[in-house]
Amino acid sequence: MSRSAGARHVDVDAVVVGGGAAGMVAARDLARAGASVALLDEHHELGGQYYRRRSGAVLVRDGDLRPRGTRLAAEVRAAGVAVHTATTVWGVGDDRRTVLATRAAGDGVLRVRGTTAVVATGAHERSVPFPGWQLPGVVTPGCALHLATIDRVPVGRRTAVAGSGPFLLPVACALLDVGVEVVGVFEAGRPYRPDRRALDAARYPRRLVELGGYLARLARAGVRVHQGWHVAAAHGDPAVEGIRLRGPGGREREIAVDAAAVGFGFRPNTELLALFGAEVRPDPATWDLVPVCDELGRTSVPGLVAAGEARGVAGVHAATVRGALAAVAAAEHLGLRGDDEIDPRLLRRARAADAFARLTAARYPVPHRLVAAAPDATLVCRCEGVTAGEVRAAAATGWNDMDATKGASRAGMGPCQGRQCAYAVAELVRQRTGTAPRRVFSPQMPLKPVRVAELLAGTAPSTATATPAVPAPPAAAVGSGGSTNGRSPGTAVPGVGAP
Amino acid sequence: MGGVSARSDAVGGVVVHVDGRAVPAVDGQTLLGALLAQGHRVLRHNPVTGEARAGYCGMGVCFECEVEVDGRAQVRACMEPVRDGQRVRLGPATDEAAAGNGAARPDVVAP
Repeated sequence: MSRSAGARHVDVDAVVVGGGAAGMVAARDLARAGASVALLDEHHELGGQYYRRRSGAVLVRDGDLRPRGTRLAAEVRAAGVAVHTATTVWGVGDDRRTVLATRAAGDGVLRVRGTTAVVATGAHERSVPFPGWQLPGVVTPGCALHLATIDRVPVGRRTAVAGSGPFLLPVACALLDVGVEVVGVFEAGRPYRPDRRALDAARYPRRLVELGGYLARLARAGVRVHQGWHVAAAHGDPAVEGIRLRGPGGREREIAVDAAAVGFGFRPNTELLALFGAEVRPDPATWDLVPVCDELGRTSVPGLVAAGEARGVAGVHAATVRGALAAVAAAEHLGLRGDDEIDPRLLRRARAADAFARLTAARYPVPHRLVAAAPDATLVCRCEGVTAGEVRAAAATGWNDMDATKGASRAGMGPCQGRQCAYAVAELVRQRTGTAPRRVFSPQMPLKPVRVAELLAGTAPSTATATPAVPAPPAAAVGSGGSTNGRSPGTAVPGVGAP
Repeated sequence: MGGVSARSDAVGGVVVHVDGRAVPAVDGQTLLGALLAQGHRVLRHNPVTGEARAGYCGMGVCFECEVEVDGRAQVRACMEPVRDGQRVRLGPATDEAAAGNGAARPDVVAP
């Protein structure tokens, strides 16, 4: 497709994808080192997840939740970074270097080519399916948290917080802040038992203090943290009305709730790295894919650096340090660094953060057995309505790798492109076949749904080509359920192909 | 309920029109939060199964919270700031489900 007035092309020294903690630090540091930097983020404001900002009247009334993040975003702009918010990166060009994106304004494809690229695409929450998890009112802990802290809205009146991971505790506390009756925190594992391994955490006093603060808050509010319990099912019509919990010795209890925040930690968003051709490998603790990279985040592709949670889930403090290290690597690639030594404190902090991440992963092991426990009728792929039974059947017939299972069952073909179901599908396949498939579907473009009209916006019929004019397809969204947005069919365009 | 109350005459209050009905919200909220605060627990119906759905991940990954805003379809409510006068239509797939496209998977239900 030829370039035209509507499509925009930006050439920079460094393109940074992802405006969370790692991306903001990397972009700021690179700009300060003298590089021209473009920072792209899908959200309308910088901050990512941890530094997601309050705005408008909520900000005025309730204050800045994350002043550190606000300062960071200001530093990014002050350093001269070209910030592109509300910009969704969905692909990589044929040169394996140009990033392809569309803006919410819908004004054509933005192509950003950097001499170096930092991918700081963060992570998403891990879901373990159970009957009824698709009911309105069942959400991830992160969703309940954002509703509470950004919108100041309780996700429900009576809410359970369940799953596994340290994240459940601050989420439960945030729910208390907006007046939710938290009926309990149900942790599938037993991370809070006092044993010898727990002593390892004593090497991280600040993290322990943080954890202790959440537990104390919950205790004061009479919210019990139950260990060894998980949500076996949710029921209600049309929204959730109750959950059935299963605990040690097979005990069960029913609790009436109008919301449940259930999640099991986080998984790195590695799709963009994979599109660039970066080598990935399974993380031994979680089996999720992480990029193969060195301490600075340099991947197997020269000039491509990974930063933050996309490198492997390790928390915001690790992400901040990894952003700084990524800037060092990118600056080196650009020839902007002399023989400066890397600040040894940075490397020490990075190693400490990585060690704490490994400790945390061991403390909260992913309960793969819960996927095995899902009855056949359990929904696994939310988008396409594929059940556990269908995935098991597909796996049993020999479709035992991720992409073949996807092809046979449609799991992973919907708008979320398998982000919600890939973990469960991989585990179901592994349990049925004994083989360990990659725990993601092969990434393909567009990484997120894009409207055909957005791809075509700004292309002028008069940029004539030798090919005969062809009628434009209906303006359906690519990669998701169809929808029209008013573009008149029959408008001639010079061919519709991959941009 | 606790938290920030949404009244159209409150400071920072805005009014969003949802399927023709005026819904108060607070400037700075997302559409997802504003809708939930006013009791909109169901946002759409899944086009394959016909089931009622609402926001799930809160971060733009799951696409369960898609609504139509000011004529733009498939807007993720969890990422969309409320603005005074916004026109929101819930569940474009509701029509398809009602037409019988959904409910093709009666075995996919909560117990």
